Amino acid sequence: MNAVPRTVPTAEATLLPWAPELTGAPAAAAPPPPPRSTPVLGALWLPLRLAWRQLRAERARLASAIAGVLFACVLVFMQLGFRSALFDSATALLSAMRADIFLMHPLTTVSFKPEMLPRIRASQAMALPEVQAAVPVYLAQATWRNPEDGTRRPVQLVGFDTESGVMDFPGLAPLIETLKRPDTMAFDRRSRPEFGPVPRLLAERGPFQVQVGNRQMEVAGLVEIGPSFGADGNVVMSELNFRRIMKERQASQVDLVAIKLRPGADRDAAVARLRALLPGDVMVMSQPQLVAHERNYWETATPIGFIFAFGSLMGLVVGMVIVYQILFSDIASHLREYATLKAIGYSNGFLRRAVLSAALILAVLGFLPGLALSTLLYDVVGKGTFLPLEMDASRALSVFAMIFTMCGIAGLLAMRKLRDANPADMF
Amino acid sequence: MATPPVALRGVTYAYGTGDLARPVLRDVDLSVAPGEVVLLTGPSGSGKTTLLTLIGALRALQQGSATVLGQELAGASERERTALRRRIGFIFQQHNLLGFLTARQNVAMALELDPATTERQRLARAGEMLAAVGLAEKCESRPDQLSGGQRQRVAVARALAGQPGLILADEPTAALDRQSGGDVVRLLRDLARRRGVPILMVTHDPRILDIADRIVAMEDGRILPANEANAVRAP
Ligand SMILES: Nc1ncnc2c1ncn2[C@@H]1O[C@H](COP(=O)(O)OP(=O)(O)OP(=O)(O)O)[C@@H](O)[C@H]1O
Ligand SMILES: [Mg+2]
Repeated sequence: MNAVPRTVPTAEATLLPWAPELTGAPAAAAPPPPPRSTPVLGALWLPLRLAWRQLRAERARLASAIAGVLFACVLVFMQLGFRSALFDSATALLSAMRADIFLMHPLTTVSFKPEMLPRIRASQAMALPEVQAAVPVYLAQATWRNPEDGTRRPVQLVGFDTESGVMDFPGLAPLIETLKRPDTMAFDRRSRPEFGPVPRLLAERGPFQVQVGNRQMEVAGLVEIGPSFGADGNVVMSELNFRRIMKERQASQVDLVAIKLRPGADRDAAVARLRALLPGDVMVMSQPQLVAHERNYWETATPIGFIFAFGSLMGLVVGMVIVYQILFSDIASHLREYATLKAIGYSNGFLRRAVLSAALILAVLGFLPGLALSTLLYDVVGKGTFLPLEMDASRALSVFAMIFTMCGIAGLLAMRKLRDANPADMF
Repeated sequence: MATPPVALRGVTYAYGTGDLARPVLRDVDLSVAPGEVVLLTGPSGSGKTTLLTLIGALRALQQGSATVLGQELAGASERERTALRRRIGFIFQQHNLLGFLTARQNVAMALELDPATTERQRLARAGEMLAAVGLAEKCESRPDQLSGGQRQRVAVARALAGQPGLILADEPTAALDRQSGGDVVRLLRDLARRRGVPILMVTHDPRILDIADRIVAMEDGRILPANEANAVRAP
């Protein structure tokens, strides 16, 4: 038999009614009017779902991708945590010195090696009517002998007129009367444990003697300051007691001058007037400026800031390479499927959104355990190192932004592989 | 009568450019009537696949004119071609199903392109299509749990699910044994015919020539006159 054209049903060229012949579905059942979600939502949701189904299908690959993101996440959290903990602790002593304004020698770069300024500047500052009091502050390091095992360690001494009420350390106020007595001092309860279990001993036996420098001093109470780079522990005492330990120090040369303003005085205006009033051998700073000055030293004059920024960046780069590799090989091994999708009418945009969705799913799946693990590590490492490591929402958010960006870039890079999916090669 | 689903006039195509240009199609005229089943045969390298990719808007037309389902392909943009592809059902040599989706989800992929459907409608329709190809029990199976013939039947269901106006198939039986190959193309032909959908199918397989309304033979980039084409079928 030769080709006899059969009679063929004529129909409209495009959409034909769907015939449910073999399904047993009642032919009369018209499709319900479609209650529609917005197409925009579908344009984002459908590629996301496709990406998730693809990721989910290969557990091992998914697990290694999540591990990569988690690794980057923990690394960045630890780096940022250490960084801010170190800077916080670097300025612990100055942050605890609660006065309004400070005078410092202009050549002093960091508080643990101060240049000295003439004591007379304190009296000169009093010339300003809004200044209520100005007291000299003496800083020095001396040897502390551990009251329990006798080991020695340098401790930071802070001596000033404790009665003046100019500089208020946390916990100092109730000790003012006690500290008037000769050879007494207040110990920083947050000092490192190498100084001995001072708070416990104090609670058990009451005030007791400790050797500081060559002198027996009485620990009369506790203040709260915290260790810093320059000092593992601190003690606060009156100016007189300070000079008893540091006999060679001249009273006329001081390390800082702390100034208290009258209630209601404008601090910034007072700073400006003091600058005009005093000679060029002093620098006038409000307390936040003093803290910022100290922090600036650690950030710029030491490689600490760079080290942590570099560490974070490396974590992100490694994480990005891992995510990129996973996405890339995912696309490469599914090229035929992607080409098929293009052939049946999926746009490039849809497939790009699917790849990007996969990247962002990995960001979320890696970040959440990363956040949990980092919070745990902050706790453990913080206890071990006495660094103030604390998870806070703003850091969590910024790390999430970094991880999200990292995965996004990896997705954008991997996306280029989609070009190799050519629907014309499918036949 | 309105323009037929496929109407090619003077289509010429070459791979490569300049001196390296190798003509593969020369002045091809071809039309497919509504509901017609056309088989395209010819020796290897004669340009059948190339012609199919042009009609399927998978490649840009170089010369001549091609109207497919009302869309002129000469000078059509990528966007227009993508939109046209959604109205065509493709069946490839390999099934090309997505391995991480079930049979039903694979078929539903062809429906997700239509924003006017809900997820429930899509899955219901996909289930009906799978029932229509005799795979009602395999809806939730993944492709690697199916036989070759079953996979190709899922591909048929996917191609038909979107209510295409045209089916293009390139050697759909090549990867199948004789029995299941024959079953699949007959199933395809029956389902398409009931819906009045025309089919253009490239095949080397002499056992399935009988499904055709018309056989078109190609050689060296040209379409042979009708009597020579029928000679292919006689022996
Ligand atoms: N992407 C390409 N780039 C360059 N040349 C190509 C390309 N695809 C096909 N060709 C060439 O074009 C000619 C026609 O190829 P085509 O695939 O259309 O033939 P065919 O009739 O489908 O052959 P077969 O029966 O073997 O599948 C062949 O000579 C082939 O080498
Ligand atoms: Mg071919």
